[in-house]
Amino acid sequence: MSSARSTPDAAGPPAPAVRLDGVSKSYGEVRALDDVSLTVRQGEFFGVLGPNGAGKSTLVEIMVGMRRPDAGTVSVLGGSPWPRDTALLRRIGVQTQSSAFFTRLTAGEHLATVAALYGLDRAAAGRALEQVDLADRARTRVDDLSGGQRQRLALATALIHRPDLIFLDEPTAALDPQARRSLWEVLRSLRGEGRTIVCTTHHLDEAEALCDRVAIVARGALLALDSPGSLVRSLAAPARLLVPADRLSVAQAEGLDGVDRVTVEGGEVVIETRAANRVLVAVGELVGIETVQTRTATLEDAYLRLTGSEQHG
Amino acid sequence: MSAYAAMTRATYLAYVRDRTSVFFTFAFPLLFLVVFGLLFRGQTVNGGLAYINYIAPGVLAWGIGNAALFGVAFTLMHWRRDDLLRLVWRTPTPLPTVLASRYAVALGTGLVQAVLFTAVALLPVFGLHLAASWPAALPVLLLGVTAFVAVGLVVGGLANTPEAVAAIANCVMVPMAFLSGAFYPVDLMPGWLQAFSRVLPLRWFVDGVTDALAGRGGLLGPATDCLALAVFAGLFTLLAARTFRWSNRT
Repeated sequence: MSSARSTPDAAGPPAPAVRLDGVSKSYGEVRALDDVSLTVRQGEFFGVLGPNGAGKSTLVEIMVGMRRPDAGTVSVLGGSPWPRDTALLRRIGVQTQSSAFFTRLTAGEHLATVAALYGLDRAAAGRALEQVDLADRARTRVDDLSGGQRQRLALATALIHRPDLIFLDEPTAALDPQARRSLWEVLRSLRGEGRTIVCTTHHLDEAEALCDRVAIVARGALLALDSPGSLVRSLAAPARLLVPADRLSVAQAEGLDGVDRVTVEGGEVVIETRAANRVLVAVGELVGIETVQTRTATLEDAYLRLTGSEQHG
Repeated sequence: MSAYAAMTRATYLAYVRDRTSVFFTFAFPLLFLVVFGLLFRGQTVNGGLAYINYIAPGVLAWGIGNAALFGVAFTLMHWRRDDLLRLVWRTPTPLPTVLASRYAVALGTGLVQAVLFTAVALLPVFGLHLAASWPAALPVLLLGVTAFVAVGLVVGGLANTPEAVAAIANCVMVPMAFLSGAFYPVDLMPGWLQAFSRVLPLRWFVDGVTDALAGRGGLLGPATDCLALAVFAGLFTLLAARTFRWSNRT
């Protein structure tokens, strides 16, 4: 786990995209955020992970100025997001969980309306549709779009004014695997253009695949902030070896040197070990190395450990 | 396209694409006109105007006020529930520009309702005759729509669901319609009820249209009614500013 706060070095790095200092927020009795401090760097793909109700959405809403923190300071692109600052908002794109679309309009009409609200011409709407690969749906009513298409239209809505800083609240929720992957490509290309992206998700594989750094939040507190790789390594979680149950008995596996735990799941004997190489050789001698599958620790393991959930194989 | 023009277009498209709602906005008041018009055909209220001179302006004002109130209340509730107000909040466009676009659609709807409705009432079978002062109905119409748009903003600011909008708006509109002389000439109501009805904006809207179309009270009649409607519009706009919320989640 690294320090949540970064200190500018002598060379004077660019101002951070977002900086939170001791931010707290309560709703009545419920403490949604408790003394959260973090910095999002310019050009970074920053993930916010946490269980439902962890305070992720509140965190994003405070960053975009939709809510005012009870305590602490917030700086976004060098300015304060509260009270409403339209010059600052012009540089920020937000995709919220509830996709806001104009009633009974087509995708193209919706985006043209949003473009006009930003003082942009219709070409901006066409460009945003192209960007999310939805140009062929311009004449389709928003209500008739599929879940994935709606998600992409919501992204286009957030991108229409070419913001420098983009906030995405669970952008791939309720998408099938193909739609998720295609949205990932859009997000990667945005990162490639040098934009800063702050993205909440509870898909751990998504955070691992996309994010430069992730903040893990639970019960309103910041539990960890680091790159996905560092978080996994700092966990020192056991690796798992999987062998078909008809090839190896639990007793045989437990007899091997270096094995921590053996379980049977879905017809496979699962061997947990912190001495993966040694145990792999030993198991390979017993059943043939090609029948052994290995599973290393993932961000999900780190996440479950940190958020206090019971870890499952 | 300016933000105002784009929002007006979006609001207009959302409105006309809801065919059922459009149909009933126009058909519902006409239905009342046909029923009451045929029922009391050729009759005159004691010492007053022909019955059609009460019922046509009454139903007309009620139909326009009803459409303005319900339409604006539903729109505001939907915009807030679907987070469109938040979307607007993040853009440089001021909120009054967005609300003005909905107001423009309400005014246009009211004007089309008035033309269609008056044309039907002028048919020989109903027998409405317009006095020379009929153009005075236009400022009455403008201020009447404004007042009921303001009431709609209050209702839309309070209600979070379509059910709540319908419940509150009906609770406001149905008793007011009966107490303001929309379906029944005010001149036939007991004196105390006539006096009480002056606190209702629909009473002034009905009176204003009646005065203008029948030439009652010269120009002073419609002018007084316009003044009263302007006061209601101002009061409810102030109230709407207090009930306005950007989001259902506070």
